[in-house]
Amino acid sequence: MQRLGLLVAIAATLVAGLGAARADFELHYPVVDYREFEVEHNGDTTFDKANSGKSNDQSYTVELGYGLTPWWEPELEFEMQAAPGENWKYGATTFENTFQLAPQGKYWADLGFFAEYAHAQIRADADEITFGPLAQKEWNDPFGTGVNTLHTLNVLVTKQIGRNRNDATPVELAWQSRIRINPFFEPGIEYYGNFNTIADRLTVTGPGHRIGPVIVGIYNFHEYGALRYEAGYLFGLNNATENGTIRWRLEYEKAF
Amino acid sequence: MARLAGFCGFKAATIGSRVDLLQMQLIRTKLRSMVSRRLLALVIVAGVVTPIIGHADETHFVLTIKDRKFDVGEIAVPANVRFTLTVRNLDSVPAEFESNDLNREKVVVGGGSITVYLGPLAPGRYVFFDDFNPKARGAIVAK
Repeated sequence: MQRLGLLVAIAATLVAGLGAARADFELHYPVVDYREFEVEHNGDTTFDKANSGKSNDQSYTVELGYGLTPWWEPELEFEMQAAPGENWKYGATTFENTFQLAPQGKYWADLGFFAEYAHAQIRADADEITFGPLAQKEWNDPFGTGVNTLHTLNVLVTKQIGRNRNDATPVELAWQSRIRINPFFEPGIEYYGNFNTIADRLTVTGPGHRIGPVIVGIYNFHEYGALRYEAGYLFGLNNATENGTIRWRLEYEKAF
Repeated sequence: MARLAGFCGFKAATIGSRVDLLQMQLIRTKLRSMVSRRLLALVIVAGVVTPIIGHADETHFVLTIKDRKFDVGEIAVPANVRFTLTVRNLDSVPAEFESNDLNREKVVVGGGSITVYLGPLAPGRYVFFDDFNPKARGAIVAK
């Protein structure tokens, strides 16, 4: 009986752990574009061996945001997801907030704060709050190389709330460094890590580490707005992660 | 009796030394926490004050928007130096100082002004424009 209970507990934790292991491959920048309206699409899909249970995990989001003040940009996000071997589901509706804490470029690094509330649309999932600091550093002409570089770091903590919640406190790290060769084409490297075992030692899945190349760019149509893009390939670095992930971001923005 | 007194004395001395040890540990812990608190305070003060001090002697430039045009076509700035650019909008309609090269985008309301913090920049030419009126263009040239 005790063994059965233990098995049920492990199975429940595994399911909860897998939910938490689903990383959000989206980098948040600590700078708010005041009076700017944006429509953003993020997507990612994973690749691994067919029977691994880690292949073809897909997630797509559409976000609508507006820079309401010079320091606050709220966004509404709609997420569709398909776990490996499962049908498409409407996953969550999320209210995101980016707060810019200081004028861009004034201090050694630009700091921001991110906070979101995700309302789960799948019955077995829990609502989540995610928050944490965002930092960005312009490091121009490093070692006299004549190029400008941009580095961004997110450290986000997630806490599940309401029904179906578990007590884990996963931490997600996202880091991107890129060379600002040309606004249309900025190559870089990025890392996404998720740590599920901070407070929940029972969580079966280990930390996930992914790293890979990325290209970022912007094309400005001026009075018709601007189009930003990001495209990257992430290599899974350990057994907890899939072999590879393609991620992309497409954003249309227009200031009013 | 003498043995008992001796034993009691030994016990008392042992307890006394344990109390001393505990007191010593308590003092050490307090000292450590005081030092770490002061260190933390020092780090916070340094973190807040350093950027302010670092910007005290910043190079400063002014750019004016009038009749939906920038008053200067090119601003020469020293390379690898931090500087500020004040953008004044003398028109009644808003403008947006934007530069993809500089990674800056900031709205200037009609009759208002903004401060853009820039640099240090690698030597080069950095184009900027008014996103609400893209014909208004200029460049910062870092030499």
